[in-house]
Amino acid sequence: MTSEIYFAEVGGEKYQIEILSEKRVVINGVTHEIDFQTLRQHSSCSLLVDGKSYEPNTFQENGGWEILLNGRRFNVLVEDERERRLRLAAGESTLQEGRYILKSPMPGLVIDIPVKAGDDVKEGQVLLILESMKMQNELTAPRDGKIARIQAQVNDNVERKETLLILD
Amino acid sequence: MFKKILVANRGEIAVRIIRSCRELNIQTVAVYSDADRHSLHVRYADEAFHLGPSKASESYLRSDKILEIAKLCGADAIHPGYGFLAERADFSQACQDQGISFIGPKPSSISAMGDKQVARETVSKAGVPVVPGTEGQGNLTDKALLKIAPGIGFPLLIKPSAGGGGKGMREVANIKEMPGLLTASRREAESSFGDGNIYLEKLILGARHIEIQILADQHGNVIHLGERECSIQRRHQKLLEEAPSPFIGDDQALRDKMGEVAVQAARAVDYINAGTIEFLVDANKEYYFLEMNTRLQVEHPVTEAVTGIDIVKEQIRIAAGLPLQHKQEDIILNGWAMECRINAEDPFRDFMPSTGLITQSIIPAGPGIRIDTGVYSGFEISPYYDALISKLIVHEVTREETITRMKRALDEYRVLGIRTNIPFHQALLDNKDFQEGEFDTQFLQDGNLPVRRHQMDRTLPEIAALAAVLASYKQTHQSAVSMQRGRRETSNWKWTSRWERTKE
Repeated sequence: MTSEIYFAEVGGEKYQIEILSEKRVVINGVTHEIDFQTLRQHSSCSLLVDGKSYEPNTFQENGGWEILLNGRRFNVLVEDERERRLRLAAGESTLQEGRYILKSPMPGLVIDIPVKAGDDVKEGQVLLILESMKMQNELTAPRDGKIARIQAQVNDNVERKETLLILD
Repeated sequence: MFKKILVANRGEIAVRIIRSCRELNIQTVAVYSDADRHSLHVRYADEAFHLGPSKASESYLRSDKILEIAKLCGADAIHPGYGFLAERADFSQACQDQGISFIGPKPSSISAMGDKQVARETVSKAGVPVVPGTEGQGNLTDKALLKIAPGIGFPLLIKPSAGGGGKGMREVANIKEMPGLLTASRREAESSFGDGNIYLEKLILGARHIEIQILADQHGNVIHLGERECSIQRRHQKLLEEAPSPFIGDDQALRDKMGEVAVQAARAVDYINAGTIEFLVDANKEYYFLEMNTRLQVEHPVTEAVTGIDIVKEQIRIAAGLPLQHKQEDIILNGWAMECRINAEDPFRDFMPSTGLITQSIIPAGPGIRIDTGVYSGFEISPYYDALISKLIVHEVTREETITRMKRALDEYRVLGIRTNIPFHQALLDNKDFQEGEFDTQFLQDGNLPVRRHQMDRTLPEIAALAAVLASYKQTHQSAVSMQRGRRETSNWKWTSRWERTKE
């Protein structure tokens, strides 16, 4: 097979990862022997890197990857060569997160929406309050942005994964 | 002894109770809501009956239906567990009226301890110290409150009579600033709750939440089983408990004194069965009665670990009229025990509850480990009940060894498909102040350590990046395979396996 090159970014650190084969990768110029097994139907994987054993949990969240590893969380943005070419051609210099679609993490009742379309919001700002599991849960903005659209209404009973609002 | 016990609860505690019943050779009856047909308690019990829709108010809180089922199946006792009907005097009374034993205290004890004002009055008459304050003295004027304040002592808190969540609450350092703060507190309480009434309470600095487990039989014997440390709380929800308390440590005199006081409090309401007296303990080791929980506690296993007593079995024996098997002098605390409450909550998203299918659950095992749970691989976490999915309890000799063992157990624990607060517990156990026993009930409120951040292995971000890339790669190639579906002569899985073999 031909090798493939990916670009990843974690907390500002950039990694160029070339997949030479299923057993060998080059990370920022250093070659590593690996073995990557996904446990069937699970988010969990077993990853061996130069003989060291890791068990990351991988979740796809809003266009990026969320990796749980040794009790820590890492948000990873990944693109392959084609995506990178397209992005650079479009004149974007950094990896961009696209629109953030706030989906209901669970079935529940919308108690309050303290923002409105067009509002500028800050990371951590409460966007919506959802009641579920006997608790009122504050759904917050994962980053700074502008509210593009609000889909849900106060007193709506929403299903899991239902789109609540969209952040640009 | 009882022949058949109906367990009026669900989840891990129903399973826990059924286990003790089985060991006592007592038949068990489970009840369940729509959401719980696949729950473990239904599968473990000898008999199971449907209660109704998933909502608790239409199922686990339907005392009438539960009593009907108990009579129908010939149960001679009901164990309420915790939550739901456990602290409802009317339910205890209804059981009594129907000739079914309620495995818990008498209705009068539940009522006496359920009303905060009555409880405070009753226990202080019995010589139990309470947090000084004016709660339950009616709605006093500013003038009256200013007169009472110096007697309570500063610093103190002004608290709204209605509502909670810290709204309208004011900390007062001295009498001079008090009039202004009274006005502000009333104003905020009025606008938040539509009720401007307030009361005063002494502010306990560096308070710890320490509770004493008691057992009381029908023959006048009351003993205590030592203390539990429960100061690790988030929004008044306990997250980790241990026995003994590192704060009491080897101060046996304090332990004995608090134990005696707890026994007095229980006697003051003619208490029968297992119960817990909660205290606030300040930095000077002054302790104040907080409340009594007239039921089995979530965190009872840590006491079981250090005393060797099965509290549920004792509850059943007591309700059956048997005398306590242990005398106070027989109770010796052996080693250290700790419990982590594993909740379906995402510690990286402000402890947001997580629902959905548990695709895999691998529980830790090995020396000194106990898991109480009601879930398994393939179980669906519903949004109807609380987020507790299991309790991980470890037992060791010293506190230090207990922490090490707990870390090992948490590292082994895998719950996939949903988010859990396991990373929170890992961060907590890594915290130096926690390790040294330096914490109070404010520990998690001060923005302390939501997640593991420190002492990070520097290669981890790189491994995370690699995992994400490999996951993307795998996903791209898998979708490429499925898109070509139908264009091949051989069957799909054969083709895939051939591709798997040749792709290197």
